[in-house]
Amino acid sequence: MAALGSALALSACAGPLSTLQPEGPSARGAAMLWWIMLAGSAVIFALVSAMLVLAYARPGPLRAAGPKTIMVWGGLVFPGIVLTALVVAAFALGERMLATPRDPAPMRIEAIAERWIWTFRYPGTDGSETRNRLHIPAGQDIDFVVTSGDVIHAFWIPRLGGKIDAIPGRENIVRLRADRPGVYGGVCAEYCGEGHAVMRFTVEAHEEADYEARLAAAIAEESAR
Amino acid sequence: MSEVTVQGRQLVLLAAGFIVWSVAFVALYAMLSVGCAYGWDRIDLAGGLTLQRVQLIVIFLVHLGAGLWLARALRPASTSRGDDHPAQFLRHAAYGTAVAAVAATAFTFAGIFALTSCY
Repeated sequence: MAALGSALALSACAGPLSTLQPEGPSARGAAMLWWIMLAGSAVIFALVSAMLVLAYARPGPLRAAGPKTIMVWGGLVFPGIVLTALVVAAFALGERMLATPRDPAPMRIEAIAERWIWTFRYPGTDGSETRNRLHIPAGQDIDFVVTSGDVIHAFWIPRLGGKIDAIPGRENIVRLRADRPGVYGGVCAEYCGEGHAVMRFTVEAHEEADYEARLAAAIAEESAR
Repeated sequence: MSEVTVQGRQLVLLAAGFIVWSVAFVALYAMLSVGCAYGWDRIDLAGGLTLQRVQLIVIFLVHLGAGLWLARALRPASTSRGDDHPAQFLRHAAYGTAVAAVAATAFTFAGIFALTSCY
């Protein structure tokens, strides 16, 4: 029964858009924060439930403690500790996700959002593009320079990390890495009009040694369309 | 049945502490973006302290000071009437809320001292 319950509860946690199946450091940070938040909220829920049951079943100890003690410890100290842990974890993990300048600079791929298509432009290819299909080398950091040609969109590859807004006239940078080759899903994560739901893209992470050849083939295929 | 009158001013005072907090939030958020847009995080004033961080710290301290002043102004007099009087209860609640808002201001915005502001 417990196994069935777990299977049902976790059945939506897998797939190409699952943030709970991270494949890169940025997504791992976000997933870890999610687990910390789940654990924190579970502890708070358990404590409140226990107090509620106690209030009905054996009100004596709660009455003896008095309302002030319960409010200070239950309403201030306890959530204070949990929230402090969450804030510290969020700040520490958030700092690790930033695309701070470094030497040598990671590869930069431009991601341009337009209703309702993603265009990706690669370095060293004379401005060659692919549409709705992003090709990256696995095992190395990539800086995505994200912008928009019309309205505000958001660039998100849940299994690799992010997300970041695509804003007309601005360039936002997000640093992502795929640990290993594979195919991952990407979406627009900011409502942008009637085509928002279908504004998806596919990410192909290739072996580093194969990357240039695979990218060249993908660009040739794109221009033949 | 006795009638209880609550003045609008008392309700405003009840929210005053967190109004200061929310003004601090909007001011810090807005000026963070303005500073990043103008590259203030690259202007080193002294010993690694950037113009961006200094302006955020100033905004933070101004609002922390305003919150402390408010909490002090709302502190109930020791000779006040009992807690059962509605006006007195609201005054006590406004003071408690103002103190909580000062703590919230220090806690939630302390990140400006150490966290990366742009990128």
